[in-house]
This record gives sequence, structure tokens and C-alpha cells, in this order.
Amino acid sequence: MILLTIESFLERNQNLKREELDDIIARAKERSLLIDKEYDAFITLNDNLAVESKGILYGVAISVKDNICTKGLRTTAGSRILESYIPPFDATVIEKVKRAGGFIIGKTAMDEFGFGSFSINCAYKIPKNPNDKERVTGGSSGGAAAVTKAADFPHIAIAQSTGGSITAPAAFTGTVGITPTYGRVSRYGLIDYSNSMDKIGTIGKDVFDAALLLQIIQGYDPRDSTSIKLNEESYIDSMNKEIKGFKIAIPKEYYDYNYVDKRVADKIMDSLSKLEELGASFDIISMPMYKYAISAYYIVAISEASTNLARYSGLRYGLQKQLDSSLTFDEYASIIREQGFGEEAKRRIILGTFARMSGYRDAFYLKALKIRKLLIDDYKRVFSRYDAIITPSMPVIAPKIKDALSMEPLKVYGMDIMTVGPNFTGMPTISIPVARVEGMPIGMQIVGDHFNEAKIIRIARNLEKVLNYE
Amino acid sequence: MNEKIGLEIHVRLNTKTKLFCSDHNNIKNAKPNSNTCPVCMGFPGSKPVLNKEAVRYGVMIALALNCSISSKIFFSRKTYFYPDMSKNYQITQYEIPIGREGYLEISNGKRIRIRRVHIEEDPAKILYPTNDLNTSEYLLVDYNRSGMPLSEIVTEPDFSDKEEVREFMDKLISILEHLGVFDAQADAALRADVNVSIENGERVEVKNVSGLENIERAITYEIIRQRSAYRLNGRVERETRHFSEVSGTTTKLRAKEFEEDYGYIFDPDLPIVKLSDELIEKIKSELPELPDKRIERFIRSYKIEKSFASILVNKDKQLADFFEESLKYYNNPESLAKWITTFLLKSLNWHKLRINQTHVKPEVFALLIRSVDENKISDAYAKDLIKIYVDTGKDITDMIKSYNAINKEDIEKIARRYIESNMKAVSEYKKGNIRAIDFIIGSILKETKKRADPKLVKEIVIDLIDKEEASVAQ
Ligand SMILES: [Zn+2]
Repeated sequence: MILLTIESFLERNQNLKREELDDIIARAKERSLLIDKEYDAFITLNDNLAVESKGILYGVAISVKDNICTKGLRTTAGSRILESYIPPFDATVIEKVKRAGGFIIGKTAMDEFGFGSFSINCAYKIPKNPNDKERVTGGSSGGAAAVTKAADFPHIAIAQSTGGSITAPAAFTGTVGITPTYGRVSRYGLIDYSNSMDKIGTIGKDVFDAALLLQIIQGYDPRDSTSIKLNEESYIDSMNKEIKGFKIAIPKEYYDYNYVDKRVADKIMDSLSKLEELGASFDIISMPMYKYAISAYYIVAISEASTNLARYSGLRYGLQKQLDSSLTFDEYASIIREQGFGEEAKRRIILGTFARMSGYRDAFYLKALKIRKLLIDDYKRVFSRYDAIITPSMPVIAPKIKDALSMEPLKVYGMDIMTVGPNFTGMPTISIPVARVEGMPIGMQIVGDHFNEAKIIRIARNLEKVLNYE
Repeated sequence: MNEKIGLEIHVRLNTKTKLFCSDHNNIKNAKPNSNTCPVCMGFPGSKPVLNKEAVRYGVMIALALNCSISSKIFFSRKTYFYPDMSKNYQITQYEIPIGREGYLEISNGKRIRIRRVHIEEDPAKILYPTNDLNTSEYLLVDYNRSGMPLSEIVTEPDFSDKEEVREFMDKLISILEHLGVFDAQADAALRADVNVSIENGERVEVKNVSGLENIERAITYEIIRQRSAYRLNGRVERETRHFSEVSGTTTKLRAKEFEEDYGYIFDPDLPIVKLSDELIEKIKSELPELPDKRIERFIRSYKIEKSFASILVNKDKQLADFFEESLKYYNNPESLAKWITTFLLKSLNWHKLRINQTHVKPEVFALLIRSVDENKISDAYAKDLIKIYVDTGKDITDMIKSYNAINKEDIEKIARRYIESNMKAVSEYKKGNIRAIDFIIGSILKETKKRADPKLVKEIVIDLIDKEEASVAQ
């Protein structure tokens, strides 16, 4: 069977007969089961596959990262504490996808609550990289990327990023991930990690797929006060326009061999020549603030996370225990949280609680917020002169799962060096595969100014056409 | 005797919907946990959306309390674990409240300084099966209250005694009611944390005292407790205490060093709200007439005494409204004000009722007072009728009217009877013993069951005796 791209599938999906649609659904179901068996990519497969309306996505399977609420379909956020949680409502993006004719194939594996860069902090199975099953998928949207890579049926993934959780797995698996501007896509129904940075985005096999799904799920939502009212752009209409005259910034710090695998940095540099062939130009620039990004990012992320996770105390949903009148509320909640949270979640709760305690709040939390302002200024300065910033997506190729498991937390946090800057400051990014090292894909991250998704999608699409990566 | 008292007052705002979701805010007698949604239940993935009406209410309160208004406000998460907390953090305002540095003046001319006015969400309601935290084996949580909007009003420790507190609270509630932002009858409409310190003692905070009466009880108890603690130990320690409504006493919750660290962060789900000068000016220009202005107007337009005007307005807005409504039916402000602030208020206080909790209607009340003023009804009977009216809610119109119907002729009829059967007393009277007819008057009053005005009865009796004498003389 020849795999159709979704772009070509869309030429005929509006005319599908009922039986053809049923076949597509049945096949998607069967293949998802196999993919799960092979790569442990799902936490929950959806038994009730149904297309609810006819729209652009008619017949396209959509997988959903497991921290996005799906009505009636188990949603765990990758945590034991929500092992039996069935949301009473759909996230806004799920409503939009259903209205567009997509069907929810299942909920994809992730680091618990998004706490990880490799998808190894998992309460359930650790997803495997379809390029090499011994290697990590990247995190935290690891399952989303693995399913996307492995799917041989029309499929696009809804993923989510806080500090790089779309770019990392997209780069490690050789898929395309779009992390939109903060506020572009409604977060209503997204189980919070760090609300000031969480963004729902997409992972697809190619730029078209990821852009198409973003176009469908984006938009202002009165239920999320941080979503922004904008004219919704058609990326599909603008993505094929040429990029002649585009000016690209290459921040030298992001190619420093001290932080980045030389082979990765060099491959990205190499592919820049393709951009020149397309009529774009680039300058090497400096973004010295980048070195503060990771620590400041983590302080804000864990401060917010530690408050978000406070609600899980075994009362109305999630893990519960037989009530025992000899226990106080605090003792009961402690037992639930002790058993329900994994090690990384506990680490972030403790660190996050510390960072916002009086006496430390000024030195950590409030200072980190100031650094975010400075970083935004830094980016704005660059975007006043350039259309996009290009860096490697990840500093390394996907490590082996066993190596990743024994890595020190600080070293793991360091993996986010490429992605934290734009994520912390709310800039949109797209990661596309550009080359391979040791047979493993490496990604290029294109960063745009706030709400300039159309521009970076256009650059990515133009580049994708000339790269012949596969 | 140098007590310092400060209040952190929480009042429920009567917006249409809750503070961060679209559930109703003023549903009465709803089944527990029926008025909830994923947001106020703290379900994963739900997001708060700010109720703009509550912000406007907050600005109105801050303006009425002479505060300066912040040009930008935002919300923070106050994190602590408690069973009534749906998210284990409360969305409140921390760094920058809506209003700061205001004051409210009380009758002795003292300005009670207002430190801040902000808005926040109410936690859920906890029900203890035994009504007592210490003896209940379990507790129940009703999330209907979760997410209802509160305004927190914090005073400086400027009160010297509980009388000042009571007057301030009456006035504050009247202001809130004049603003139309508060319903005193709502469930847990008013709670306060009360800070009390005596001379040379540390500050003691009594948490979560519900209602005006309990606030006064808590203050009384604390002052006595602290004074005796000081006599005994030479000091009063800084601590937080719990007030028991059952016993009227306070018990220690925690010492100062165990105060919770709430770990405030900005709530990243809620954007900054700008309060522009134009918006504030607009709200200011739309503020309704407030108590001080209303009292002035009552004195000026109705020519009533200041003490009456103050009671009418500051005791309870509904009472002032009732007064003005009654005036439409009987334009005698002085008389109405007197009767309302004395006998009507006395009956209301007896039952701890407010005027709008009774069936007392202004038109009926006005008729009653008019009848008194026109000597159709005795003062004593009017007092009885007010009592019956407040007690039972029964329409007293007929009783007022029927009283009028039997009035003068009936008294004369009864009087003739007693005069005829007591001729001895009459002749005593005629001889100059004026008191001799007291028995006759008393009998008539007794028979008419206080429904006759003693003055009128006396007049009638004397008149009849005089007339008889005149006829005999002919
Ligand atoms: Zn609600």
C-alpha cells in the first residue's frame, strides 16, 4: 500500500462513501494497535471511533497528547494520580477537531504532566523512537511524535509544549512540529503544567499536515482569557509563497560546540545554503541573554507547576483511597500524592514550592519573571531586523533510553537549551527534519516573532521542498 | 484600656454569576453541589474567566470607602491545602489590590483607615455533621459556594472598642447596600478576621468569624481573655485563634512561627486588567446616593432630626427605603421617622429581622401612623398593632379601620353605661374630687382593650358628665 500524504488525501476525502470512511477508520484502529504494540506510543486507545461531522479533516485520524481533556475518554496527563480520570468535557481544540471531521484515535504517551525532555518520566510505558527503538522519542510529546512517524494512514497529532515538548520529539523522530505563539490556540481543557507557557500545537509528517491542523485548532476562545483575538490566518494559502528577500538570524551561541553536538550544528549550518538558494539571506548574530533562559524558565515553570499540582489531593477525581477517620485531611492528601506522583513530579513540586516561598520569592520567582521580560526584549530586537531565527532543534540526536534514564536532572534540563528561549518568551517555532546523524534525524528550529506563524511555516515549507530529507 | 482592633472583612458580592465561571451566584436553597461546573470544582484543564461585574463592584466599594484606585490589577494564587479549596489555591489579589488607603468616618469624628479593598473567590462550604470541627468524624463539602465573589476590606487597627466596630459595620453594610453590591441575607454574606491587641500585648487574630453579632462576641471575649492572660503571664502572645459560635469563646489555632507561607504567584490564567481613569470616572459618576449624602438630604428635605436620619440610613438601607416609601402615603416625615426608628425598629430587633424580611407594607404602616396622628387610634394600640404586624405579618388594615368605626360614639355609649352605674363616683367628681372618675375611665379602657386613647376617653367622660349636669340644670 502506498501511503498517501494528507495533502493528496484531502483531494478526495470530501467524496468518500460511507463504506470507504468505515474502512479508513477500521484500518486506522488496527494500525494504531500495532503501532502501540511496537512503540508504546499510546496511553489509551479510543474504542469508540466516530466521525461526528463532515469537514476538512473528514477521515483524518487525530491523536491527542494525554494532557488534553477528551470527554468520556480517559485522560491521565501521563500520571498515576489521574489513572482513572475521565473528563466531563472536551478541550476546545478537541471540539474544533471533531467539528472539522477528524476522529480521535487515542491518547498519546508523555512525560508525567509534561515534566521531561525525553518521554522517560512516564508513569506508564516509555514510548520508543520508530527510527531506532532503543532510543528515546524526545519529550514530553513523545507518543505524539512516535505515532506520527509510524502512522501509515492519514493522521496528525495534537501535541503540546511548555519549554520545548513539541520541537524535541519532532526533531528526534524526524517529524514536523509546530509550537504556536502563546495565546494562538485555546488552552481550555489542557491540563496545566506552566500556564504562562503552555501551548497546544501540532506534529505532522510534513509541514502541510502540521500547518493544516494548527489552522483548524487555532483561534480566540472566551473560555481561555489568555487566548488572543486575531484574524485567523490560512497557513495553507500562504505557505507556498516564495521566501526571496527573507532575512534570517543565526545566533552564534546556539551553534557553540560546548553545548551542541558538532555534527548537529554543522548539519544545520550546511542546510542554510539551501535557504540562500531560495533567495533568503542570513547573518550571524549574538543573543547573549540566552544563557539565563534555562534557569529562569525552570523557576517559572516549576513555581506554576507546583500550584497546578496542588489540586490533586484525592478528593473529587483521580487517585482515591478508602477514607479512614484516623487520618487528617493533610495526611490523606499526602498518601495520595506520595503514591500518585512520580519522582520528577515530586522534584518539581518541592523545587517550585521553594522558589515561591517568602524569603526566596524575590530572589527566584520574581527575578525569573524579570529575566523573561529582558529575553522578550532580546527577541524583539532581533525580529525588528530579521524575519526568523534559525537554530538546531535539539543539541544532540536522540539518546538511547538507557543512557537517558541515568542522566542527571540538570543535564536533562540542559537539553532544552535550544527550545527554552522561544518557549519562555511565547515565540512560535517550527521544527523540521533536515538531515541525519548516525542514521537518526536532526531537526532545524525556525523561530518567528509573536503571531508570525505564517512566516515560519512558509520558510519551512520552502525548505522542505528542496531538502529531500527522506 | 488601650485596645486596638482591626478587621479583615469578607463580604459576598451579589453579582449575577460567580467570580470565574458562569454558574449563578445567588441561587437560594440549591441542592448541595448542584450549582457547580469544572471551573469552580477545580477540574483539570478548566480555566478561570474573570467576571467584569465583580471588578466593577470592587471599584465601587473602594470609591465609596475613599480609596485610591489602582490603574492595573491582576490576580494571584494563594496556595494552601484545605478541604474546602477546590484547587488548593485561592485566586485572590495580593500585591496590588483594587483600592488602597481609604477611610470611613464614624459619628465621633474618627476616621477608620481602610488599608485595602480587593476581590477574591470564596472557597467551598464545609458542613460538620455535629456542627463542630472538633467532634466531627468526617465533613461534607458543598461546592455551590466555591468561586462566589468576595470583597475583602481590610482596616487599620483603628477601633478602640466594639461600639466603634458595630457602628462602622452598620455603616459599611449600609454603604454596600446603597451600592447594590451586597445582600445581607445571603448565606455567609459577611465574615471577618478580627485582630485584637491590648496595651503591651501582641496582636491576636481571630479567624473567620461569621456575622455582626459574632464579631462583637469575639471581640468581647478576646479582650477579657487577653487582659487576664496579661495579668497572669505579663504578656499576650501573637497567635491565630478560632472562634466557636456555640460557646462564644476562642481557641488557639497556631502560634506566629507556624503561620502558613502561601507562596503567592501571579495567576497566569488571568491577564492584567487595566482600570483606566475614564472607567473609574464613569463608575464614580454612576455611583448611587451614599449614606452620608442621604442623611444630609433627609435632614434638609424632610426636616427630621439628625439622630433619626442616621438611624434610618445607617442601620439598614431597607429601613430608609421604607421610610421614603411610607412618605408617599402619609407625608409626615417627623412622625414616620419617630415611629420607625423607635417602635418599629424595636419590634424588628426583637425578632432579629430586617424590614424586608417581614410583611410590613409602607402603605399600611403610613395609614396606621396617620390614624394615630389624627387621634383615631391610641398610641398604645398602635404599638400593639406594630408588634402584631411584625410578629405575624397579618394585614392590619382592617384592624386599623375597624378601630376607627367604633371610635367615638362607641366610647360614648360605653361611657354612658359606666357613668349611669357609678353615679356615686360622678357626684364625688362634681364635688371636686377629680380622681373619682379614674375608675370609670379605667373600666372603659379595660373594656375597649387599650383600643381607646386614654386622653380621649377622659375627655368624653368629662364631657358627658358636664352635659348631663347642663341638662339637669335645665
Ligand atoms: Zn462554576
